[in-house]
Amino acid sequence: MIRRGLALAAAALLALAPLLAPPYQVTLLLPAFAYGIALLGLNLLFGTAGLLSFGHALFVALGAYTAAGLTTRYGVLSFEAIVAAAAGLAAVVAVPVGLLCVRYVKIYFGMLTLAFGMLFYSFLYKFYALTGGDEGLRVLRPLLLGRPFAELDKVGFLTGPFYYYALALLALATLAMRRIVRSPFGLSLRAIRENADKAAFVGVSVRRYRFYAFVIAAVFGAVGGTLLAVPTGLADPLLAYWTHSGNLVFMLLLGGFEHFLGPLVGALAFIFLQDLVMSLTAYWRFVFGALLAIVVVFFPRGLLGLVAPERPA
Amino acid sequence: MRTTRRQFLALSGGALGTAALRLDAAPALAQNAPVKIGVLAAKAGVLAPVGESGLRGVQWATERVNAARGILGRRIELIVEEESSPKDTVERFRKLSLQDRVDAVSGAISTGVGLALGPVAEEMKTIWLSWDATTQKGVEETLPKPKYSFRSTDNECEAVMASLLTARHLKGKFRTVAGINPDYSYGRDNWAAFLAIMKKYGIELSVVSELWPKLGATDFTAHVAALGQARPDLIFSCFWAGDTPIFLKQAHAAGLTAKSKLVLTTGGGVHEALKKDFTPEGAILGYNCLYFDWARASALQKEFVRWHHEKFKEWPNYESDHGYFTIVAYKAAVERAARAAGGKWPAPDAIIQALEGIEAESLSGPRRFREDHIMEATFFQGMTTHKNAYDFVTIDPVETMTTKQIQKPSGVGLYDWINSWKV
Repeated sequence: MIRRGLALAAAALLALAPLLAPPYQVTLLLPAFAYGIALLGLNLLFGTAGLLSFGHALFVALGAYTAAGLTTRYGVLSFEAIVAAAAGLAAVVAVPVGLLCVRYVKIYFGMLTLAFGMLFYSFLYKFYALTGGDEGLRVLRPLLLGRPFAELDKVGFLTGPFYYYALALLALATLAMRRIVRSPFGLSLRAIRENADKAAFVGVSVRRYRFYAFVIAAVFGAVGGTLLAVPTGLADPLLAYWTHSGNLVFMLLLGGFEHFLGPLVGALAFIFLQDLVMSLTAYWRFVFGALLAIVVVFFPRGLLGLVAPERPA
Repeated sequence: MRTTRRQFLALSGGALGTAALRLDAAPALAQNAPVKIGVLAAKAGVLAPVGESGLRGVQWATERVNAARGILGRRIELIVEEESSPKDTVERFRKLSLQDRVDAVSGAISTGVGLALGPVAEEMKTIWLSWDATTQKGVEETLPKPKYSFRSTDNECEAVMASLLTARHLKGKFRTVAGINPDYSYGRDNWAAFLAIMKKYGIELSVVSELWPKLGATDFTAHVAALGQARPDLIFSCFWAGDTPIFLKQAHAAGLTAKSKLVLTTGGGVHEALKKDFTPEGAILGYNCLYFDWARASALQKEFVRWHHEKFKEWPNYESDHGYFTIVAYKAAVERAARAAGGKWPAPDAIIQALEGIEAESLSGPRRFREDHIMEATFFQGMTTHKNAYDFVTIDPVETMTTKQIQKPSGVGLYDWINSWKV
C-alpha cells in the first residue's frame, strides 16, 4: 500500500514538474522517460527472463532512425505513426535476431546481442546514402495527436506538450509491462529464469517464451528510441554503439533490476547524475566506472534495493 | 509596538525609495556582471587533443581580454562543458543556454555534433560560434540562412588547397594514385574533392587503391600491405589525428614513403608527432589555419606560440586559433554594436548583426565571418623539410591561401564551383 502511494506521489510530482522545475531540468526528464521505456523492455529480458542483452541499443537506435527517416525522408510527422512504425519495425528486426539469440543463454546470449548491435552500428555508419553515415539523419519536430504546436518554440514544445506526451507514453508502457510481467507468460519467464529445465518439464516452451520476451523488449526499446530522438533532433550511429548498450545495462543495475520500477529509477538517477558529474569533472567516465563497480560489489540490488525490501520482480 | 501613521509613511517611503534605488541599480549591475560564454570542448577519444587545443586558445583569448578591462568593462566568464556524442552535446548546449544563461557558446569540432547543434542553437536563440564544426552534410550546407549559428570554414578547404598545390608542383610527376582516408564523411569528401580537382586540371591519373580505415585506427599493417601491392606514384591522405604518425611509421618501414609522393592535407594538426625518422621530405603537408613556425607570423602569433610552448611544452596547432578567434570576434562584434547603440551593452540581435561580416585579428592573421556566417581564414601548407631545429618535420616553402581561393562561395555547390574555375 505504502509502495503504491509512493509510486503515485512520484507520478504526481512528475506530472507537475513542468510547473515547478526550471525548463532545463524538465528537458532532462525527457531522455529519462525515453530510457525508462527502453529499460522496461530490457528488464523483461534480464530481470524477468534472466537474459542479459548487450545489444539493446540496436533497438533504441532503430526507433530513433525510424523517427528520422519518417520525418525527413517521407514527410510523416505524426508521432503516433512514428511510434507505431518504430514498434512494427523493431518487431520485424527482432524476429530473425531473436530467433538466433535465444538459442543461447548467459554470456553467449550477451555476446550474440552485442554482435548484432555492432552489426547495426556498422550498417548505420557505412550505408551513407540510406542512413547519413557518421553525420546521421535529422529528426524534425513531430505532430502530437495531429497538432503542430507551432506557437511554441522548441523548449516550450519539449517542456509542454511533448513532456506530457512522453510521460503518458511512459505510463502506458509501465502499465502494459506490469500486465505482461504479472501474466502467466511473465510468470513462465520467471520460472525459466529460475530453472529452465524444470520449466520445460512442466510444459513451458522455453525457447518460444524467450523469443517472445526478446521481441517485446525490442518494441519497448524502439518506442524509447523515438522519444529519445526528438529532443536531440538528430539520429546518429553512436546510439547503436556498444557503449550505449552498456549505459542501458548500467542504468538497470543502478535502479535495481529486481524491482519492477528499478528501470525507471535507474534512468532518472543516471541522467541527473551524468548531468551533475559531467559539469564537475572531465573524468566523469572514470567516476561512472567506479560507481558501477561500487553498485555491483556493495549494492547489487541497486537504488531501490536500498529503500525497498526484497521483492521478486 | 504599534506603528503610528507617521512611522508607517516613513517606513513605506523608505522601502519605496530602496526599491527604486534597486531598480535603478539593476541595469548597472547587469553592466558589470560577467559575460558568460559557454565552451564545448572534446575531452575524450580521438577528438580530445584537438578539443584541448581549442580550449587553450579560448582561455588565452579570455585572459587577454579580461586583463584589458573585458568587453565594455565586463569580464568574460567561461563555463566549460564537454563535446561528446551529438545527443549528449545537445543536452550540454541546452544546459548552457537554459541553466547557465550564457551570452554565447563557443566550441564544437565534430561535423556530426555541428549538424545537431546548428538547429538547436536556432531553436534556443543562443549564439553559437563554432571552432571547427560545420553544418554541412557531406559538402552540402544544411543551414543556409542561420541566425544564431556561426560556422567554421568548410570541411573540404584543406583538400582543395592540397589539390591545388599538387597540380602546381607535381603535375606530370605521377600517374597512379592511392587514397587512404578515415572512413567518415570528412575522409570521403576530401578524397572526392581531390579527384575532381585533378580532373579539372586535366591530370590523367588512375586510382589504384582506395582505403578507408576507421577514424583513429592504430594499426595499418593491412593497408600498408595493400598500398605496397598497388605501388602508387602518389598517396593522398586527410588523416588529422594520431593515426597520421602511426600510418607514416608503418609506411616508412615498408619502404612506401621512399617510393610514393605523399599529400597529407591535415597531418599538420599533429605536427610534433611527425618525426624526421619516418616522415620524408618533399611531402605536401597541411596545417589548417595556424602554422606555428611561420617566419612572417604576427607578433600576436609569436607571443601565443611562446606562451603555449612555455606552459605546455608543446607547439600549438590550428584549433587554438579557431578557439581564439571566436572570443575576439564576439568581443569585436559587441563593441561594434555598442558604438551604434551609444555605448550601451547591445541587444543579442544587434550583436548577431555585428558578427555578420566582422573582421578580427586571429593568431594566424585577419579572419572574418562571412555574411552567411561561415568563417574566412588563411590556410598554411607546404613541402616537408628536415632542415630545422626540431626532431619533427616542418614546411618550406610555406604556402598560404585564403578561403577566398579555396572555399566555395555562399550558396554555390562545391563541384559547380570547381567546374567554374578557369585553369
